[in-house]
Amino acid sequence: MLAVHHEGKAVVSNGTREQMEADVARLHGKGLWATLQQD
Amino acid sequence: MRFTRHRGKVRADVDQVEVDVLEQLTGELLGIVEEPRVDADPLAALVGLSAEPVVPPDDPVLARLLPSAYRDDDAAAAEFRRYTDADLRARKRANAVAVRRSLPDGGGRLELDRDQCDQWLECLNDLRLALGTALGVTEDTDPEEYDEGHPARQALEVYGWLGWVQESLLSCVEPRVP
Repeated sequence: MLAVHHEGKAVVSNGTREQMEADVARLHGKGLWATLQQD
Repeated sequence: MRFTRHRGKVRADVDQVEVDVLEQLTGELLGIVEEPRVDADPLAALVGLSAEPVVPPDDPVLARLLPSAYRDDDAAAAEFRRYTDADLRARKRANAVAVRRSLPDGGGRLELDRDQCDQWLECLNDLRLALGTALGVTEDTDPEEYDEGHPARQALEVYGWLGWVQESLLSCVEPRVP
């Protein structure tokens, strides 16, 4: 979480696109501005 | 209003002014986050699929409440919205309605169960995001730059108060064991 503070973003999860989209949707529900990208 | 814990119950005493502020803000939130338009196809409606491609909101407040899931891929972001926009709107609206219902008329004692605590926490966060975006709050924002009674100062004080209430509620809530 310190990475968020210093760099404005942090990687919190890795996995398949479907799993990541589900995680992002859950975080949006909590008001967090989560995004996903392909590595 | 400060939340405290008593025998497993989370409660707070809310005065009339606080009830008025929360009713006004949640009312505005419900005005901004409009009801989702779901597909007329019953199966699509059942899974919360949106009727048309969902475009990102123009309004910066709404865009913060319903953020893009992909920064650099508009097509993927639109597809994500099509599947999630309705659920996210419905959830934020349900939280706001739950907060409004739990407010004691004219002020008084408020008591929340575990599920209500989550709805309050999510809604307080939405109110802070909405107000913070509308006011352009940054790390350097200082309400005392404005004279007492200035509308911006009053709004920033409400913003600060929301964070304080949120923190007091968060300190009373025990994490759910997965």
